[in-house]
Amino acid sequence: MAPRWKWKGAEGKALAEPISKSVSELQLSLAETESSGTLSSSNVLLAVEPEQAELLDRCCFGRLVLSAEKVKKWIQLSFEEAFFLHYNLKCIKISLQGRCLENEVDTWLYMKSKRPNFPMFFKAYSHLRSKNWVLRSGLQYGVDFVAYRHHPSLVHSEYSVLVQSGDSDRLRVWSDIHCAVRLSGSVAKTLLTLYVNGNFKGEDLNLPVCLENFTVEEQTISRWSPELNREDEFTNSKQNVTNVSNLKTL
Amino acid sequence: MEEKDWEGSPLSEKEAGLLCYDDEEYQFGAPVPKLQFRVGSSKARWIAELGMAEVEVRRGKLWTTTGIIRTGKTFCFIEEAVYLSEIGELQLLGDEDDVVISLKDLYREIAEGKCGCCWENYEVYRYLKGLGYILGRHGVPWTTNDVVNTTPSDEDESLCAGEFSQDKDSITKLLSDMQICDARPVFDVYLPNSHFKKSSPGEPSFVACFSGDSPPSKEEIEVLQKRVASPLMFCHIVEGRASFFSFNSIDLLVLP
Repeated sequence: MAPRWKWKGAEGKALAEPISKSVSELQLSLAETESSGTLSSSNVLLAVEPEQAELLDRCCFGRLVLSAEKVKKWIQLSFEEAFFLHYNLKCIKISLQGRCLENEVDTWLYMKSKRPNFPMFFKAYSHLRSKNWVLRSGLQYGVDFVAYRHHPSLVHSEYSVLVQSGDSDRLRVWSDIHCAVRLSGSVAKTLLTLYVNGNFKGEDLNLPVCLENFTVEEQTISRWSPELNREDEFTNSKQNVTNVSNLKTL
Repeated sequence: MEEKDWEGSPLSEKEAGLLCYDDEEYQFGAPVPKLQFRVGSSKARWIAELGMAEVEVRRGKLWTTTGIIRTGKTFCFIEEAVYLSEIGELQLLGDEDDVVISLKDLYREIAEGKCGCCWENYEVYRYLKGLGYILGRHGVPWTTNDVVNTTPSDEDESLCAGEFSQDKDSITKLLSDMQICDARPVFDVYLPNSHFKKSSPGEPSFVACFSGDSPPSKEEIEVLQKRVASPLMFCHIVEGRASFFSFNSIDLLVLP
């Protein structure tokens, strides 16, 4: 499916302000002010300057917590978002119960203890984020993430993302496939599964560096409708080679 | 707390609605083809040891897209024979005599699944044929370039039978190779094409695969993708409702 830009000029704006550039600016700004996020059992709260809040929004990290406070803005980050800023971009610190966690491993272990599938999900998240795709929660679509080519104000998300691994029991029965594909199609997205390969049971999982041993394979699942894809007549009598990329998928 | 929820904006939902498809309007079950009871419809004779029928009387253009040709004769697989019988285009005669084999007996053959086509395969075959697609058994050439001996003889019969055994053996072997994984390719599917030629069918649009009760695993898909050059489509049919899924490895591009 081609990207669906939301308004005329949106594509131009996206080209003029690539995500990678916004992320670099964000990284510099947060590192300069030594921003620190507070870890809780389900998210990380980050206090930032108003300009930084704007940068975070431009890169689509976190959600603004509205409050009366004028000087600082509070941003709520998911574990994936926070760890990406902390471990990949190295631009925020993390503190727990008032104490700064100096070692990345401590944050990793804490997040993993709250969400056992965090390593798998984080690998998938960072895989797409590293390619400059914007990821948001996909819960309202029954999936793990939705992936945007740029900021959601400019473009509709193209992919609904499900994270899988060898151990996981996602998409193991036909009705799961039907459900996920139909749901994606009804909101005009392609279903994308990210298959994370790695050993999720070993001791090494205690270190975030285990992420380097994981690989991610991307696979789309599409449903094809035979009623809508018939060609009536071929005008030339030569040998016809048609392939399924010519067929419309829904 | 007011949240910015770009995806939930009315515009996007409306847009999504426009793009929504609902195939409830398509009837459940296979579309009902126009029944034709022709005088002098085609006739074929079932050959039990081959698990195929030899066509003795050919009527109509349908034979340009049905059946395989060996030494000038046309043979058809169980699914082809049953489908044509169902739509009244073919009378299938027994091995020993000229009694027309009943649909009941034909369905039983398919239910037993010994001729390389089980009931699920047949439902998909019937469904796609009804929509005009051209289907052949995967791995079986439509025709072979043999020197045609115009005088039928016992030798020819056994030659043919021998070759058939080869074909059948090769089919069996293909199927047993596939037992490594439960998923297997069954039909080569071509788009509707009035210029279709068995002598040069070209590459199929896709190969219809079946993985049975469960969707194919990543490993099964990989095995099949290595063995089959054409795109794969996994079929799932329940209560006459057929769905076709493709699983495509991609590499999302790195954005600026």
